[in-house]
Amino acid sequence: MVSAFGLSACGGGSGGGGKEGGTLTGSYASFPDYLDPALSYTAEGWTAMYDTYIPLLTYAHASGAAGSEVIPGLAKAMPKISDGGKTYTLFLRKGLEYSDGTPVKASDFTYAVERVFKLNSGGSPFYTAIVGAEKFAETKSGGIPGIETDDKSGEIVVHLVKPRGTFTNELGLMFVAPVPKSTPAKNMTADPPPATGPYEIVKSEPGRGWSYQRNPQWDKANSKLMPELPSGHVNKIEISVIRNDSTEVNEIERDKTDWMQSSPPADLYQKVKTKYEGSQFRVESTVSIYYFWMNMKRPPFDDLKVRQAVNYAVNTEALERIYAGSLQGAHQILPPGMPGQKDFNLYPYDMAKAKKLIAAANPSDRDITVWTDNESPNNEAGAYYQDVLTKLGFNAKFKEINADNYFTLIGNESTPDLDTGWFDWFEDYPHPNDYFQPLLAGESILPANNSNFSQTDIPALNEKIARLGEEQLGPEQEAEYAELDREYMEQAPWAPYGNNTTSTFVSSAIDLDQVIYNPTFGHDLTSFQFK
Amino acid sequence: MRRNRVALGFLGLFVLIVAFVLAAPLWADHVAHTGPNDTHTLQKIEVDGEKRDVVAPTGQPIGPVWLGADGRFFLGADGRLGRDEMVRLMYGGRNSLFIGIVSALITTLLATVLGLLSGYYRGWTDTAISRAMDVVWAFPVLLLAIALGLVLAVGGLQIGPIHLSGGSIWIPILIIGIVYTPYMARPIRGEVLSLREKEFVEAAVAQGAGPLRIMFSELLPNLWSTIIVFFTLNIANNMLLESALSFLSVGVQPPDASWGTMIASAFNLITSAPLLTIIPGTMILLSVLALNVFGDGLRDALDPKSKVRFEAHSGLSAAEGSETAEVATP
Repeated sequence: MVSAFGLSACGGGSGGGGKEGGTLTGSYASFPDYLDPALSYTAEGWTAMYDTYIPLLTYAHASGAAGSEVIPGLAKAMPKISDGGKTYTLFLRKGLEYSDGTPVKASDFTYAVERVFKLNSGGSPFYTAIVGAEKFAETKSGGIPGIETDDKSGEIVVHLVKPRGTFTNELGLMFVAPVPKSTPAKNMTADPPPATGPYEIVKSEPGRGWSYQRNPQWDKANSKLMPELPSGHVNKIEISVIRNDSTEVNEIERDKTDWMQSSPPADLYQKVKTKYEGSQFRVESTVSIYYFWMNMKRPPFDDLKVRQAVNYAVNTEALERIYAGSLQGAHQILPPGMPGQKDFNLYPYDMAKAKKLIAAANPSDRDITVWTDNESPNNEAGAYYQDVLTKLGFNAKFKEINADNYFTLIGNESTPDLDTGWFDWFEDYPHPNDYFQPLLAGESILPANNSNFSQTDIPALNEKIARLGEEQLGPEQEAEYAELDREYMEQAPWAPYGNNTTSTFVSSAIDLDQVIYNPTFGHDLTSFQFK
Repeated sequence: MRRNRVALGFLGLFVLIVAFVLAAPLWADHVAHTGPNDTHTLQKIEVDGEKRDVVAPTGQPIGPVWLGADGRFFLGADGRLGRDEMVRLMYGGRNSLFIGIVSALITTLLATVLGLLSGYYRGWTDTAISRAMDVVWAFPVLLLAIALGLVLAVGGLQIGPIHLSGGSIWIPILIIGIVYTPYMARPIRGEVLSLREKEFVEAAVAQGAGPLRIMFSELLPNLWSTIIVFFTLNIANNMLLESALSFLSVGVQPPDASWGTMIASAFNLITSAPLLTIIPGTMILLSVLALNVFGDGLRDALDPKSKVRFEAHSGLSAAEGSETAEVATP
């Protein structure tokens, strides 16, 4: 998934000793892409909804590697996988209710999956392996025959067209968290659907903030049925969008805000780290990749030489400095910490070589639009990249877009001049397929909510992704993913430049040791507790 | 005007500022040896014999080195991209002044034509034009400009065969030029309504002069002093609005510099490198102050009896026929 900032997984703990109750105040630097579980595909959105919408399976509420474990959510147990990996059988826990009092039904899962396709969600590619899903994605009608449910018994059976090694992970993503059938098939960010988790979103003002309160049905029913999931300590949570990250830091230092979702800005990072590390501040590592995508279907990036030249021309050392030390340079797709990752660098920095490649390619179209969002230091990374392209002889125009809209804008094929731009990606789950399928597989190119911005569609590599996606991950598959990484970088659809860290920064009122940072969902709101 | 030494002094200040920004290419080529958008993140420079990072590994940009590096990075680097702050200040000033002056010309042209037509023809022409101006005037200037800027920033603007890309400097020029038109058109209309009743207009009509000749040969010369004063004061307002729009990322688009974008990009460094916001802010202050004081002096010199003035009120409309114009600041 994407993030305007970095996310990581480290630290956190369990146990209490703090106060129960109170109102947690938090800040985001930008409003999430969506507050709709079917649509959101950013770290900001997932953090916001992790404790609100529980899928059939979910991820353990823990930091680090423990947080990558898939556990039962609304389902009683992990799925029974049969028929050579093509059939998944689960049972919904009986007695679950949404925050509006509506009973949760097994058929609500089918509705949630249909909603993903009706809304052309960026998560659609994860579920196209379900029998009938591809046809439903095109027609938006006729149902998905591959999902069979029985509301009386709570049984849910999912039939796949072919085995899918990542499907258990994907059942744990919020895209397919059940919602009532009364939820319209439209973007519900301004009026989020009823919750199944410990907190419900009671107010949403897009662009400005949103609020949570305890889900009344959680204490009444759901918590007893899902005792493995935490109930949270605070009673209310108020999130404001504060677009200036220096102001966010200032508010935390003055204990006006309890938590900021992103990291302190680069110019304050070292100061905050030195002053508060251990008491209010903690560095969190991430499994992430920051990169510049190049649209392979538009000139000049339809020429391999040009794409390779860009890779040679981008100096990751400069970008490390732009990120003020929080970024580690990278030159490949898979980040450290991802199974199958093996370090290599096909394009060590060499501006002279880059210019020679451009001369050899001699592209006739030298007008390029460089896209980035407006959050620092990503916008500065974009400005640096624009300067690099200018030095290579291109007429590079810069387009800086508000972070609230950036991902939806560049993910929409109707946006003109989508030549190249900035992007980041954080693991959805600890499986390398998560980096290849949504970002580089041909089938992932969508007209809206697209994540394959480079429009990469290489049949031989598509087949490899599809085949590896069917297999369970083992040493052999990891070696093949490492090879796939190299094969893609030979085609240079991106110029990767780094892996980022993020941080947890809280006010003095919050017990830092209790705060959980989940590798997929970020800060766990149920773990925040006042001292 | 000769007696108003203060006004002349501020005119001199404005001329100095213009000369400063016009010298940008000279400074960039011969002193700083860099362009306004060239990045130097990893570069080291020698300052008084000592090698220093333009941008430290922690991301902190170098501060003003003055003449320690033969004029390079005179005011330091602008942030983690390591661009020369002095070069960007000068080129940014060119953009800010260019936008301020050209948009003031557009405002003046539109306002003069609309004011003349409206005041001369009266009746339905006056009603239609005045109501259109009222609609534009009803919107707070800054919000209207932001809304237009946001819409045009991505897709640009197509006017017939002319296409302006989203990053074109002409987009903020047109937006600012149009949103301020009512503030000038209304007082000009008021003056025209008054002038058209004078004998010289009657005489021209009696001689068979047509409407266009009367408007542009008889009425317009009598409006010059008003127009010139408005034009001067309007430049100041337009520069302020441009700074606000650029600060909000809907004016001059990055990485191009204007004094507004420089303040915006340095905002995150306000605690560690406050000069990066103070310097462009001071340039805006001095330019606007110079224009306002000079404009006041010019008004006093050209037409001391006139009550025409630009005053900082919050959107009060000029009464019909009144010679007083009150302009909301952005």
